[in-house]
Parts: sequence; structure tokens; C-alpha cells
Amino acid sequence: MIEVENIHKRFGAVQAVNGVSFRVADGRITGLLGPNGAGKSTTLRILSTVLRPDQGTVRVDGSDVRDAPLAARLKLGVLPHASGLYPRLTARENIRYYGELNGLAGRMLDARIDELVELLEMREFAERAAKGFSQGQRIKVALARALVHKPRNLALDEPTNGLDVMATRALRATIRRLRDQGHCVLFSSHVMQEVAQLCDAIVIIAHGRIVAQGTPEDIRRQTGETDLEEAFVKAVGKSGASA
Amino acid sequence: MMRKLWTVFRKEVVDNLRDRRTLLTVLVFGPLFGPVFYVAIMNVAVNQQIANLNQPLKLPVAGAERAPHLIEYLEQHNTEIEPAPGDPRQAVKDGQADVVLVIPKDYGAEFTAGQPATLQLVMDQAKQSAQKNVSRARELLQAYGREISVLRLLARGVDPRATTPLAVETVDVSTPQARAGMLLAFIPYFFLFAAVIGAFYLAIDATAGERERGSLEPLLTTAVPRSALIAGKLAAVTLFSAVSLGLDVVALSWSQGLIPAAKLNIVVNFGGHTALAIFFVMLPFCLLIAALLTVVASFTRSYKEAQTWLSFIFILPMIPVFALFLFPTEPTMWMMFIPALSQDVLATALMKGAALGAGFTVVSVLSTLILGLLLAWFAVWLYRREKVLG
Repeated sequence: MIEVENIHKRFGAVQAVNGVSFRVADGRITGLLGPNGAGKSTTLRILSTVLRPDQGTVRVDGSDVRDAPLAARLKLGVLPHASGLYPRLTARENIRYYGELNGLAGRMLDARIDELVELLEMREFAERAAKGFSQGQRIKVALARALVHKPRNLALDEPTNGLDVMATRALRATIRRLRDQGHCVLFSSHVMQEVAQLCDAIVIIAHGRIVAQGTPEDIRRQTGETDLEEAFVKAVGKSGASA
Repeated sequence: MMRKLWTVFRKEVVDNLRDRRTLLTVLVFGPLFGPVFYVAIMNVAVNQQIANLNQPLKLPVAGAERAPHLIEYLEQHNTEIEPAPGDPRQAVKDGQADVVLVIPKDYGAEFTAGQPATLQLVMDQAKQSAQKNVSRARELLQAYGREISVLRLLARGVDPRATTPLAVETVDVSTPQARAGMLLAFIPYFFLFAAVIGAFYLAIDATAGERERGSLEPLLTTAVPRSALIAGKLAAVTLFSAVSLGLDVVALSWSQGLIPAAKLNIVVNFGGHTALAIFFVMLPFCLLIAALLTVVASFTRSYKEAQTWLSFIFILPMIPVFALFLFPTEPTMWMMFIPALSQDVLATALMKGAALGAGFTVVSVLSTLILGLLLAWFAVWLYRREKVLG
């Protein structure tokens, strides 16, 4: 479970995140939805501990990202927006590096990597250097890397960016499978339809604030719109007018 | 902590061993640049010097018929007399001749009268390459003059020693190794160069490269302490630097055999033991340069930008080497506090066969290590800031 509590973050004159609070429950996919520049990546970076909030905090299964960043990182798998691989290492070596950095070793790590290669269907390219990988293959390796230490919680920053239709479908299927295994998945996107299709709960963020949250039904009810996209536009627009 | 440090270290080493440019730099270019350059230059210089001394001096003489005895003397002393050009001054000015001897028409009369007989050496003081031949000609003429004066004194029944009230003897106390000093003055630069270039590409790859590939952010979300991350990277950079340095020392030690040092009557002390001592004296510099390159590259956003900034660092170790070359000074303790300079001084002393006291080495090693660790600590601090993501 990820608990975001009233976080604030300012970069110079820009208040990127301005009092954001929400909860991401286990066994569910929660979509963090918002237009570009709304504060999605900043929020995810705060909960992945690479940024420190100016105020407020995030707890990952009870571990505070401010007081115990290493413990929080162990409980979290992160797929950041920029998720580069090491081009001269094979897919397997890329995953192994992260496994070792997260404290795994030996036969257990090997078995875990084999498991991920199966889960994410990476057999064909697992032993190849990452240099010429397609975007879809790259995302798979990055996702395997984020999952290698079996974190209960997952934070994915626009993972479907740049993927073709087939790769997107495969990734969605994987994310659903992870949810069914009991993982807590936070999924950021600026694409309404994607979130609507995939997510059990939605948090809409705009101008650094939460403008609506709940199940897709809740959001339709809150905004009085039957169409989710209309609801989204209405929620975002309302905050824009008040900002 | 130690296990994660080791993980980062091993990954950086394996990863960069697969990069052909890094490998070529560390194993070939860095270590061999110095020796190849050195052997080539030394052979050309030495052979030229020796050749000049053995070859007959070609001396154009105007009015040779006025001094047959002098000409005969010159010819007996390894000189080839050539006909003089029409206008000796113009010929020297134009560089057609290094030096021309002009025998004026009064020479014979003056000589017979026992007066100082005038001879003219036409030369160009500004022409460096001609000076060797000019001084050879001048020395020959002076020797001839001394011989004549001895003969004249004997003819008058005077002991020639009367005109030599002083007998100055020069006692050269320099050892052959010390005479090699000039020859060795620029070798330490090759050591420093090899250490810098060995560290160069890995330092960039591990910092700016990490950022450019977008692999830095996911890396920072793993449960690895920043201190272990930086220490592992620094250890890998230091290792590559040390490998390049080690190969360079071996190559230079071995290349001494290719230099005609014996012909210059000097002895270069650069055997296995010296090479080993030099390697260990230089080693702290590898850590320092690894930390310095890492810190500087950490401020840059791309591989290209890092390359530009890091190129300036190549100049740093050159400064003390050239300073010592231009203003040779005896080694003093304060020099040991300055990295690059202290390694330069220590290595030079080792090659001259006059190792400095242990105190010097200890101060150099400790001061360089401490500075390297301070820079390493600064690098860790840089990676603790969130600005590191750029």
C-alpha cells in the first residue's frame, strides 16, 4: 500500500505539487491521470525517493520515504519516465544488476530472473545485448528490473509511451496479472482511455492538485458526466479556472 | 555496503570492458603513446648529435690559397674545404652555408710579420641549427692559433708554459644517472597522461553517460546507498586508470633498451624495481584523477559535454612537469603536497637512481590520497542532491 500525504514540491517559481494526498490499495491498479505538466512525474519521483518533498510524506507499506528511503525502495518497484538500459549488457545482466543492488544473489536471483523472463515473455532476447532492442523489449526489461526484488508496490510512469498496439496490450495484460497476484500498482498516464480500460481506481491531478479521485463511477458521479473523458475535461478545467 | 560496492564495481568493469574505445584507450593508446613518442624522439635526437660529431665539417673558404698551412691543418682535422660562394655574407644570410671562413689578402703579410693575422668567420647568430658547425670551426681555428703560438715561443727559446699561468681542471661530480636528468624530465608526464586517459572514458560513462541513457533515475531508486554507488564507480575508474598507468610504466621501462643511452654516456635507472616503485608512488594519483574526473563529469548532462570539460583536465598534470622542466629546482618538502608535482618529482628521482627519503614518499602518498578522498566525498554529496537528475 502506498500512502501519499499532503506532499508539496516547488522548483524555483513553479509549485509542481501542491498538497497531494491519495492512497493506492493492494490488489488494485490505480491510475494517476493528468495533463502534461500536471505533477504526475514529480509525485512519482517523490514516492520513488529520488526527490524529497518540501512538505508532507509518502509511506510505502509503512516505510517513510523521508526517514527510511532505503527500506521504502526495497518495497517499491519503479519504472521511471526515462528508463534507460545499459546497452552493452544483455537483458539478463541488466536485470541481474538491479537484483544484486536490491540485495539478491546467487541461485535465488537466477531463479527469479528466469521467472521474469517467462512472465514477460523475454526468452528470445534475454541473452542479447540491449543495444538494438525495440521500445517494447526495452520496457519489458525495465519492468523486469523493477520487479526483480519482488516488491509489493509498483510505480509505473507512463509505461505505454512509445509502444505499438500489440506491445501495449501485452503490457496491460502483464499489469493485470500483477494486480491479480496482489500487487499494489500505481500507473501514471495522460491518456484517458487507457486509464479507463485498465484502472480500478483513478486519481486525477491538475496544476499540482488532486481534482477528483475514486472509481471510474465515482468520478462520473462527482462531475455529473456520463462520459469519462468529459468528466476528465470538466475536472481538469475546473481546477484550471480556479488556479 | 561492501557487497553493493562490489556489485557496482563489477558491473562498471564488465560493461566498460565491452566498449572498444575504452579498451583501446586503456590498453593501447594510454600506455603506448609515451613510449612510442619517447623512443622516436630520442633516437632521432641522439643519432643526429652523434652523426654531426663524426661527420667531417664542410667549410667553405674564401682565399684558401693565402693560407696553405692553415688549410692543411684543417684538412688533417676532419674538415672538408669547399670553394666559397661569391658573396659569403649573402650566402650565409640565405642559409646556403652555415659558416664561411674568409682569409683576407693581408693574412700572409700579417702572419709573417708576427702580428695577429685577421681571419673572418661569417656566421648568423640567429640561426640555431648552424651553431654547432660555427663553434666547431671556431674551435679548430683557436687550436691552430695555440699551436702556432707554441711553435713561435719555442723558436724564441721561451717555455710555452709561461703563457699558461693557470691550469683550470673541471671535475664533473654528476653521476651518469644525474646526467640523464634532462633526458628523463618529461617521462613523468607520460605516466600522468596514461593515468588520466585510462580513467577518462569510464568516468564519463559512469556519470554523464548514465544520465544521457536515462539509466540514472532507475538506478537511484534501487536500495543502494549513494556512498556505495559512488565508491563502486570510483573504484572501477581508479582500476582502469591504474591499469593504463601500469602498462605505461612497463612499456617505458622496457623501451629504455631501445634508446641509445650509452652513446650519450648516461645511465638510466629504470629496471624492474624502479618501475615497481614508480608505479606505487604514482598510484594515489589514479584515485585522485578518478575522483576529479567523476566530480567534473557529474556536472555535465551529456557525453559530449563531459568530454569537452574533461579535456581541460589533461592540461593540469602538464603544468608542474613543464614548470620543473623550465625551472629545475631541487626537490623540497612543499612539493610533496601538490599532486602531479609530487609524483613527478618522486618518479624523476627514482629514475635518476637517487630516491628521495621515505618522508617525501609518505607525504606525497597521504596528501594525494586525502585530496582524492575529499573529492570522492564531494561526489557522494553531489549524488545525494536531487539536482543530480538534471
